[in-house]
Amino acid sequence: MTRLPRSARRAAGMTLAIRGLLASAAVLSVASCSGGEIAQSTPVSNAQSFVGGSYSSTFYPPGARPAAPRVSGTTLDGAKFSLAAQRGSVVVLNFWGSWCAPCRREAPALATLATDLKTAQVRFIGDDVQDSPANALAFERTFRIGYPSLNDPGEQVALAFHGAVPPVAIPTTLLIDRTGRIAGRIVGEVSYRGLRALIAKVLAGQS
Amino acid sequence: MTQDLAGREASGDQAGAVSTAVDGAAVDGSQAETAADAAPSAGAAPQRFGVIGWLRWIWRQLTSMRTALVLLFLLALASVPGSVLPQQGIDPAAVSQYYAAHPALAPFLAKLSGFDVFGAPWFAAIYLLLFTSLAGCVLPRTYRLARSARQPPPKAPRHLGRLPQAAGFLTSGPPDQALAAAAGLLRRRRFRIRTGDGCVSAEKGYLHEVGNLAFHVALLGLLVSVALGGLFGYKANKLLVERETFANTPVGLDAFHPGRLVSASDLQPFSITLRKFTARYIASGVQRGQPSWFGASIRYNSRYGGQQHGYDLRVNHPLSVDGVQVFLIGHGYAPVFKVTDAHGVVRFDQAVPFIPVEQSGLTSAGVVKVPDARPRQLGFAGVFLPTEIVVGGRLVSAFPAPDYPRVSLVSYAGNLGLESGQPQSVYSLDTSRMRRLAVSPRPLAPGQSIVLPDGLGKLTFTGYRQWASLAITYDPGQLPALVSALTALAGLVLSFLVRRRRIFVRAGAAAEADEAVPSPGAADVDADQQATAVEVGGLTRSDAAGGFETEFAELASEIMQDVRGAALGQPGGEVAAAVPKGE
Repeated sequence: MTRLPRSARRAAGMTLAIRGLLASAAVLSVASCSGGEIAQSTPVSNAQSFVGGSYSSTFYPPGARPAAPRVSGTTLDGAKFSLAAQRGSVVVLNFWGSWCAPCRREAPALATLATDLKTAQVRFIGDDVQDSPANALAFERTFRIGYPSLNDPGEQVALAFHGAVPPVAIPTTLLIDRTGRIAGRIVGEVSYRGLRALIAKVLAGQS
Repeated sequence: MTQDLAGREASGDQAGAVSTAVDGAAVDGSQAETAADAAPSAGAAPQRFGVIGWLRWIWRQLTSMRTALVLLFLLALASVPGSVLPQQGIDPAAVSQYYAAHPALAPFLAKLSGFDVFGAPWFAAIYLLLFTSLAGCVLPRTYRLARSARQPPPKAPRHLGRLPQAAGFLTSGPPDQALAAAAGLLRRRRFRIRTGDGCVSAEKGYLHEVGNLAFHVALLGLLVSVALGGLFGYKANKLLVERETFANTPVGLDAFHPGRLVSASDLQPFSITLRKFTARYIASGVQRGQPSWFGASIRYNSRYGGQQHGYDLRVNHPLSVDGVQVFLIGHGYAPVFKVTDAHGVVRFDQAVPFIPVEQSGLTSAGVVKVPDARPRQLGFAGVFLPTEIVVGGRLVSAFPAPDYPRVSLVSYAGNLGLESGQPQSVYSLDTSRMRRLAVSPRPLAPGQSIVLPDGLGKLTFTGYRQWASLAITYDPGQLPALVSALTALAGLVLSFLVRRRRIFVRAGAAAEADEAVPSPGAADVDADQQATAVEVGGLTRSDAAGGFETEFAELASEIMQDVRGAALGQPGGEVAAAVPKGE
């Protein structure tokens, strides 16, 4: 068989293929069709499921630190808080919710660490998401959290970090250095030792 | 140097030969020669099938029409489980229900990516092979079309009488004049013309191949579009209670299914606040309780601190923000509870979304977890009844609108299991380490309370709000897919409607003319004039729709009129009709 008739056959065959593909394209479009119809969907998963035991810790060296956004808001106690006003201190920003099981588990470590590092130039601040102030205040009482938390039911602080280092799960903990740049991110539950070591690293890198 | 030039010439001819073969035409001398030149190397390959030979063979098999068809069939077959089985990315609730209904089968199916068919490795394999197969077919064809579009029509064959369509006649003018007249006519008919020694070749219908090609390229485009959506798109769900806000970040979403190349920073940073949800229901008749209208009044902004816009979200009236579509897909009630513990301190005050368990009355189930109540954690599970009635001692909801709203809760105290750090659903209560409290689950009206025994605390049903569930989809491949589909359709129509056809005209002194062609018009020519024999031949794809015979007969007749008219010095003059010799 020479080359010419083969390509001729192929060309004719592809015309047939055309018709076949149209049919399968129709199948595909049906299969991938998502419902715009109103239906009672039962949301079984929620934000907690993203954590799923995953844990990752990232440290950014001083030359490669994205600037933290200028965020401000009201704390659960009703006080004003501005991140920019914390310049000169290392800031530990913890995103949490009272309903979130890993948050409840890491809370004692955070509370103890905040007390232990009170003399160092470290500020702890929480950001309470998808929560109500009553529930959040109850959480703070339970775990004797000594630092303030922003009241952020609509995740606006998390959104402000969108362009820099966004929190990708609850809990997420961000470390912001003394110049207002993001030095580290821990996704998932923190441990006392792990977080303390990371804070020390940020403190040392800047002095 | 000469050889190099000759080689290029040969490959050029080969391309020409291929396009001729596409049209099902006879192979002329030079093309046959090229084929003969190529034969030795092609013949040598099967004997010594080296690595290159195998690769070439595999490539040919892959890009063959048969393989493409098989892959196409496989793709259609592979998408069947995607529509039969519930898909994680589309309806995660249905997947959990499937797990509950088929506990043995479900994990097995999950291993085979049965709940994520369109993201499965085997699906991707079929898809990529089909893509390669199509690309391997279309790209060389594009190249050939581009070449043939720039090339003039081939030289006229020597014996036009052997072509499927042929006609001949005699005229009185010189051959050159006859050819010029024929070329002029064909040019006016928008044929592409090539004039040679004693002949004219004309070709028309390049749009057939353009259409064919557009179709194939559009199919590739369709595959690329789907891939774009799979890599850079995402789907998410959010249940939003009235007067609450969420941000389009992984932290703010309930379920998030990103494409393979989507990270948290890629999400469009909009926020949506649900101001009010409205539902109307049919109040009487057989369709009583059926919803007649849904609407969600929302406010949104497209970035942190950005300007707020209002929008009315309705069924099939999604919000489009930054290329993201937000659909209203469901609704329900979120009763608001306030819980004080043994110390009299408020430990919980929040609207809790309850999930509808039936449609006719919108009876909804939900749980309340109070992990910070002291000395015991408290939990409540129960139902919200928009219009409560008692039927045979059982509580049911008679109508989906909140005409007589009640909640009925069972109370628990103990350990909710949240401190283990293990994530759990906010819609289920793990009562394995909890004790059911001896308190009647009598229905509560808004404002009423359950006082827990042993002084454990008090729950108050303070009111209710509605919630709307939103589906957020971002598919950057949507528009390209639409454009591709339309192009494919247009290309298909074009390739079916347009035929590629060639007309050849030869003219020479009557004595030299091919005797195979009878010249019925010969008698009309004066004997004392030098007679010129004109032959007209036509060619088209054999598998194309009919009609070429008629077109050819008309053209041949017009050519004869023009040629004879030119000979008499008056184009289109009165002449005898030509008799085309068709087959």
